Amino acid sequence: MKRRDFFARTSDGLLGAAFAHLFTADLPASEAPAGWEPPIDLEPRKGHHPARAKSVIQLFMNGGPSQMDLFDPKPLLRKYDGQPFPGDIESIGNSNPTDIGVVMGGQFEFRRHGKCGMWMADPLPHLAELADDLCLVNSMWTDHPNHDNALYKIHSGRLFMGHPTLGSWTVYGLGSENRNLPAYVVLNDPLGLPKNGTRNWTSGFLPPTFQGTPLRPTGSPLLNLEPRYEEPDAVRVSARALLRQLDEIHRRDRPHAPDLDARIESYELAGRMQLSAGEALDITRESETTRHLYGIGDRETDSYGRRCLLARRLVERGVRFVQIFLEEQPWDSHADLGANHRAICHRTDKPVAGLIRDLKQRGLLDSTLVLWGGEFGRTPTTQKVGSAYTGRDHNMQAFTTLMAGGGIRGGTTYGKTDDFGHAVVEDPVSVHDFHATVLHLLGLDPWKLFHLRSGLEERLTGFEEPKIVEGILA
Amino acid sequence: MRYGRFRKIRNGRARDFSFLLSLAVLPAVTSGGSPTYEEAVAPILERHCVECHRTDARKGDLDLSSAEGLLRGGESGPVLRAGEPDQSLLVEMIENGEMPKKGDPPTDAEREILRDWIAGGARFRNRPRLADDPPHQHEILPIFLLRCTACHGAQPRDGGLDLRTVASLKKGGLNGPAFVPGDPDASPLIQRIESEACPPQALLLKRFVKRPPESEITTLREWIAAGAPEIDIAADAASGKPDPLVSEEDRRHWAFQPPRPRPGPGSIDGFIGRRLAAAGLDFSPEADRDTLIRRAHLDLLGMPPTVREWHHWRENPDPEWFARMIDQLLVSPHYGERWGRYWLDLAGYADSEGGTSADPLRLVAWKYRDYVIAAFNDDKPYDEFLLEQIAGDELIDVEKAEEITGEMVENLVATGFLRMGIDETGSRTMNFVENRVGVVADAINVLGSAVMGLTLECARCHSHKYDPVPQRDYYRLKAIFQGALDEHDWLSFRNRTLEIGTPEHRARIAATNPPLETERKQLETLLRKKTVQWQREILRSHYPHQSEEDREATFTALKRADNTRSLEQRRLVEKLQTALVIPPHQQPDSVRRARAEVDSLEHEIAEISARMEPPLAIRALWDRGEPSPTYLYRRGVPTSPGPLVGPGVPSVLTDGRTPFEIQPPFPGGTPKTGRRLAFARWLTRPDHPLTARVMANRIWVHHFGRGLVASPENFGRQSEPPSHPALLDWLAVTFVDRGWSVKEMHRLVMNSRTWKQSSRTSEAHLERDPDNRLFSRMPLRRMDAEALRDSLLFVSGRLDPTAGGPPDRVAGNREGFLHAVAGPGGNWRRSVYLQYRRTEVPTLMETFDYPEMGPNCVSRNVSTVSPQSLALLNNERIRELAASLASRIEATEPAERIKAAYAFALSREPTREERDLGIAALAELEAGWPDHPAGALEAYCHALLNSAAFLYVD
Repeated sequence: MKRRDFFARTSDGLLGAAFAHLFTADLPASEAPAGWEPPIDLEPRKGHHPARAKSVIQLFMNGGPSQMDLFDPKPLLRKYDGQPFPGDIESIGNSNPTDIGVVMGGQFEFRRHGKCGMWMADPLPHLAELADDLCLVNSMWTDHPNHDNALYKIHSGRLFMGHPTLGSWTVYGLGSENRNLPAYVVLNDPLGLPKNGTRNWTSGFLPPTFQGTPLRPTGSPLLNLEPRYEEPDAVRVSARALLRQLDEIHRRDRPHAPDLDARIESYELAGRMQLSAGEALDITRESETTRHLYGIGDRETDSYGRRCLLARRLVERGVRFVQIFLEEQPWDSHADLGANHRAICHRTDKPVAGLIRDLKQRGLLDSTLVLWGGEFGRTPTTQKVGSAYTGRDHNMQAFTTLMAGGGIRGGTTYGKTDDFGHAVVEDPVSVHDFHATVLHLLGLDPWKLFHLRSGLEERLTGFEEPKIVEGILA
Repeated sequence: MRYGRFRKIRNGRARDFSFLLSLAVLPAVTSGGSPTYEEAVAPILERHCVECHRTDARKGDLDLSSAEGLLRGGESGPVLRAGEPDQSLLVEMIENGEMPKKGDPPTDAEREILRDWIAGGARFRNRPRLADDPPHQHEILPIFLLRCTACHGAQPRDGGLDLRTVASLKKGGLNGPAFVPGDPDASPLIQRIESEACPPQALLLKRFVKRPPESEITTLREWIAAGAPEIDIAADAASGKPDPLVSEEDRRHWAFQPPRPRPGPGSIDGFIGRRLAAAGLDFSPEADRDTLIRRAHLDLLGMPPTVREWHHWRENPDPEWFARMIDQLLVSPHYGERWGRYWLDLAGYADSEGGTSADPLRLVAWKYRDYVIAAFNDDKPYDEFLLEQIAGDELIDVEKAEEITGEMVENLVATGFLRMGIDETGSRTMNFVENRVGVVADAINVLGSAVMGLTLECARCHSHKYDPVPQRDYYRLKAIFQGALDEHDWLSFRNRTLEIGTPEHRARIAATNPPLETERKQLETLLRKKTVQWQREILRSHYPHQSEEDREATFTALKRADNTRSLEQRRLVEKLQTALVIPPHQQPDSVRRARAEVDSLEHEIAEISARMEPPLAIRALWDRGEPSPTYLYRRGVPTSPGPLVGPGVPSVLTDGRTPFEIQPPFPGGTPKTGRRLAFARWLTRPDHPLTARVMANRIWVHHFGRGLVASPENFGRQSEPPSHPALLDWLAVTFVDRGWSVKEMHRLVMNSRTWKQSSRTSEAHLERDPDNRLFSRMPLRRMDAEALRDSLLFVSGRLDPTAGGPPDRVAGNREGFLHAVAGPGGNWRRSVYLQYRRTEVPTLMETFDYPEMGPNCVSRNVSTVSPQSLALLNNERIRELAASLASRIEATEPAERIKAAYAFALSREPTREERDLGIAALAELEAGWPDHPAGALEAYCHALLNSAAFLYVD
């Protein structure tokens, strides 16, 4: 890695406009490697084949949205509403079977949308307008009915903690095209962390370089990005100059020490981040029209809208992977599902649609893969909470993930579930298949993307060769 | 829950045994159509497969030299599925390039023939009669273990019925025999299973069982119909006969041969120097005295010397000063805190269970941590150290002891080693047999990677691809632990701690704790009240128009699990949360006052807890004398049991023709299997090929940044061969000869010329030893997370040296920044004493590569990333330490301050250039901060603590 004299520059003043060119320092990807060397840094790398998407925005819907109420209509449910489930009650879910209760009818009205005639329920009016750009995968399934494990699974392909997430594998495979910002960014809800906290963006056994960097939702966007103590600017400038000179002396006495170069580089990036993260995250630079598109300024949609707009600004600047989370797990509606789902749809629908529209009008949708979905779906039956049956339990056997952009065929509804929406009956898509398809679109071969760990080849997609969901590719 | 139906959909293939039946109904002889095995297939297998898969050398326990062997399959189960080439392992392994391992792969034409043959129904001219044999007891007992013994086993024994053995099965329970030989329909057990009376619906989740699928019920029916046949097969364990699965050639790998003293130079420098000379290099010059002092302190203690110590050693006229310094460092209690931490990484130490979001705390895990630290400080011989950790419960008969001694307690605490992994089986939903087997697998992984230098995990599902460890050997090893870690007789969280303590300890508890306990309870009640008051104050000040009812409804809502709140309740809670995340300095005074009351109560409670005598509880592992039989799990899946195996050790590490001797340890005393004791004694034999080598290599790794074997966790055939094999063997033999003393090894290594080399890299080094594989210099190394944090605290005078006991609390804010809570004196203890909850690793530690324990950490990453720089530059706590350092220096004359700063922070004098720079910088900093005279020195110290000179060790 070439060393740049960061401190010489910054001694001119941390906010010097002279470094504006650094803000979007897109670096060309290096030539395709001859053999697969395990990556150790975030230098941009060519994938295994031409990519359809350069970046990913994952709108993670923690808690498990109800597929049968939003995307996958099941008229039979209303027919059986209030009656016992006619199938095998044991196969339903994870709660104590005595609590399972009765079938609950669909909570919302469905209509077909777009030229493709995609089904979408009425709490999602803005997304519905984009039907011809969207792809619904109605046949997702996972391995565990508990939140924790299903979250580990959907993010890292394993049921347990300690494994790298999709985002980590992506930046492990491709590096970053922006040297001034983290390659893998996480945008959290100002109200708090999602369930499973920081483990939703861990690099697991991969080096920590590849882990997600959460941008703080309030105040300074990165932990410790700004000094958290008082000091006059003049002192800061002198102190940084002093540190640079101390390190110069240290390094001069120790030639051929790549660790020291890397360290100086890391202080450089820290400085660049201090400069450019502020710019990248400043959404006041956006026009009123754009902000309105995301629902910024409206009480309900403001918070999620801001994060969606930030996500666009980040991928625009070459950030590889952006995840947006909601606080804790708002979709998890064991009680009062109708009202809860409507409220959370209201919070997110316009911002998500705004993001897709905005990406499209800027020509970024073709190279940005947008993912919308949770860790599992919900059951056709309802559980007793308190004295009422008003919500649905977890369903690992079927759920819907929505995809759009980079290499995805718009207007597609893929896969089938049974008449109750309980289990997949056609074109099942496992979490491994889902991950494999995302990697494939990014130009990575899920089988060739591995990390050697104690002599074992570890992959995101497990030990068996996964299948790419060809039916949804453009 | 029933997953069976679904599994078929999702895999697109059902991996059960029903195809065996489909084979059975095929005509044995056919004419015309596709070719037969004898004509077309046998020659192909002969050409490409039989070299490894033959009767007397069955790799993967698979024999492809006969039709019978082909039909029987291997350890992964059957290799053929008639009519379905895509579902047949035989085709799959060849087509995905896994097989053959040796020789030419089959040609396209040959592959085509194999496919056609299977697609055509896998026909034989003379088909061996294989599938017609009725099942025997070792096919049905695993089903009972999996589905029935949760209620009808050792504990509980509902209905007086024990289904663990054929004899007890025949005896039956209170209602008579469980089955009628020859008549499945009349057998109560079949009736109850088929009517789903058993396992009872209500107990499925309580006792963690799943209903048997049809295929298992069919097997049970067939067995009863055939008159409950039993065959006489012994558990597969090492015998006097040569082992067909592991060959003499396999045993010849260097690491599987005992280390042997070879004629040679007989010293570290001799071995290293010989190789350097051969490469045209010489040792690097010895590092200067200041460097050696700092390096030795950081190496052995993880902290730099005090200014006084530094002066003492740098001016010491004794020609033997260095050896004396090492001796002195080795008696410091800080030594165990440094080197014990390395072992804690290997054990996968954590203060929580992991596996679930709740991540429950392991309240007494710290006792194991303290045991490890004490063992290193006491220089406990490594063989004893292993013996206690692996089989501490089988060394002394504690259950029959008259009085509990300290030694007994220590031995049991030591067994915590095998209980350190992630353990989710305390959860309400994750205590099924497969979860438990996962926990056992973690323990075996830890043992393999930490102690044996072998990656055993592969062999859990199939014979190791690279190392000669058949799957059978993995399960023999699992059988070693079966007496204590029995997936069919699993101890719940509640009853897996032992309440054992010496009489003195009990007396101290009785005298100290009860009054403190009362006081704490009162404070906790008060805390709950004050917390609500604080929240109410928040609501009042931020939502003055909210009704009092809504405020009270908010507190009611907080008591419910968040996913069962109504929309209205969610809205109320969200309101509160929105106000809670407003930073303290923007909150009104009334809120801050209320919060301060909460804080002070929390502080008080923590102080009272700290004054309490630690509880008796020990998180131990102990043999219970009644292990279930161990069956090999095909593909690692407990629902696919294979042959019965007995306890044993990897065959490749033995001569392969000696039975593994096991004796119950306490004849006439408490019944215990003695399996782990036998294993531990085998492991600590002086001529064990791996034990001493692996540890000697690890010691080397920590002294030099890399091992003689580059992969300390893997000495197998996939590992790079040692850079200095003769030196490694010499070290291993010397280690054993000197009584397995780790401190002796430190003396040996650190007094060598090799260790004392300078860290400067020359042109000659770059050319002839670029990666320092020859150890032509000392590598420049960044401090690890603990050394960095401890050194920062130490040089700034903020380190609280109190050792041991319950871990220090970690607190966080909503953005996820976690930091250690300062102790009563406002200072912090060493990093090893912080609480390491898996989901709450302190942020500074994590930023500097504190590892994820999954299940353990065999070597840490050393990353250099910008969040590290940001933390050291901008975090207010680091700044606070810089200020503390500055205040230590302030006492000195202004002219001496630069010198003093270097003495404290870097244990050396500044060069003239550095001194001039410091004087100039201080003047500039003072000019920039005219109204804060102390600020300049603070900023100067902060820069010094950020400098590479501080962070890197020469």
